[in-house]
Amino acid sequence: MTTDQLTSEFESFQSELKSFLLRMTASVQDAEDIVQDTYIRATAKINTFRGESSLKTWVFSIASNLAMDLLRSKKRWPETVTDICREEVLGNRQFLQEAMHIHEASPQGKFEIKEHISFCFTCVSKSLPLEQQLALLLKEVHGFSVKEISQILDQTDAMVKYYLHTSRSRMIEVFDHRCSLINKQGICHQCTELNGIFNPKQKEQEELVKIEMARDAQNKNKEKLFDLRMKILQELDPFESGAAELQLHHLEHNRQVMEKYLHQKE
Amino acid sequence: MTNIQANQKPQAGKAFTSKTMFSRETTVSANIEADPSIVWALLTHASDFPRWNSTVISLTGEIREHGEIELKSILDEKRVFKLKVKEFIPEKRLVWGDSMGSRVYTLDKNSKSVLFTMSEKIGGPLFPLFAGMIPSFDESFEQFATDLKKEAEFIQGSKK
Repeated sequence: MTTDQLTSEFESFQSELKSFLLRMTASVQDAEDIVQDTYIRATAKINTFRGESSLKTWVFSIASNLAMDLLRSKKRWPETVTDICREEVLGNRQFLQEAMHIHEASPQGKFEIKEHISFCFTCVSKSLPLEQQLALLLKEVHGFSVKEISQILDQTDAMVKYYLHTSRSRMIEVFDHRCSLINKQGICHQCTELNGIFNPKQKEQEELVKIEMARDAQNKNKEKLFDLRMKILQELDPFESGAAELQLHHLEHNRQVMEKYLHQKE
Repeated sequence: MTNIQANQKPQAGKAFTSKTMFSRETTVSANIEADPSIVWALLTHASDFPRWNSTVISLTGEIREHGEIELKSILDEKRVFKLKVKEFIPEKRLVWGDSMGSRVYTLDKNSKSVLFTMSEKIGGPLFPLFAGMIPSFDESFEQFATDLKKEAEFIQGSKK
């Protein structure tokens, strides 16, 4: 394969790669840096690409290794990340002013509940062990097969199945306990709370009816509800959506809060 | 629950206990149709235990060489067992325990399955004094093996 061919194919999945890395790192800066480093590394190593996997799988493998190198030394976030960050937001006047300004001025400043569901997953999935988070995103959001993920992670198919099963089970349990959209006993109402702040005149119930996961919560089992949550992520590009700027601003806030929180806990 | 003498052959999935004056040893084994890496992963991810293992209330710490863990089991819900990992040979052998005894897990790979064996020996010079207060392990050992087999085989069979 030539460098030109690599560049051409790389461009076809670059935005997907960046979204994947954002969901891994929760940092726009890190995601963009790793995309760039991945391209440089892929170009330098193109002679070693033997076609044993697709080029996309090979490139995602390089990117995943770079992301893991970056994240391995960092502590994982707690499942209660949204609660911790909510407390910080309430005392952060500047954050709220900035968010409201983005909401009013930016073409990507809308607040939509489904966008927040995607944002929420990015934060909560960082409580999984690193390999499990990576495998889960690759499979459930980006549609890679077990075989392809085993190539990306350099693990056996069996281990990848273990990562996928445990991470999925864990996330189902966490959301069932926390998310009030799928369980009336859920303790987290953050997406609807924020909707009330940004869209005070909107009829929340009408918005929720548009979201299959919330609309059918009483009739679907936990596995199916998780699939519907993943469908929301599959259909959203966190950099290109109508709420991208607002959600990325919120994500950066959470990342900074978590870094400070984890540092203080050391 | 089954108590048999050492010269009797154990049945798969059934625990057996042998006793002497100063010790007691319970063993269970099960043939698991899954890759040893799956069984090993289940046995070594501490925080994941309560999800699949109905005999474990909580397990914290790290199951790795020289790691330390704290176990709460259904055998005695009020007690926290502070244990050290004594041996850690990936996909083959894991031993944890304290001064009273050791729990040994072994995996033997066959062509399409893995033979899982778990045994625990407790004892010492003072064992006769408190032997009557220690509940039988048989039932919880059988449940442990059943849960492990079910979970590992489910993962093995999960969709590609």
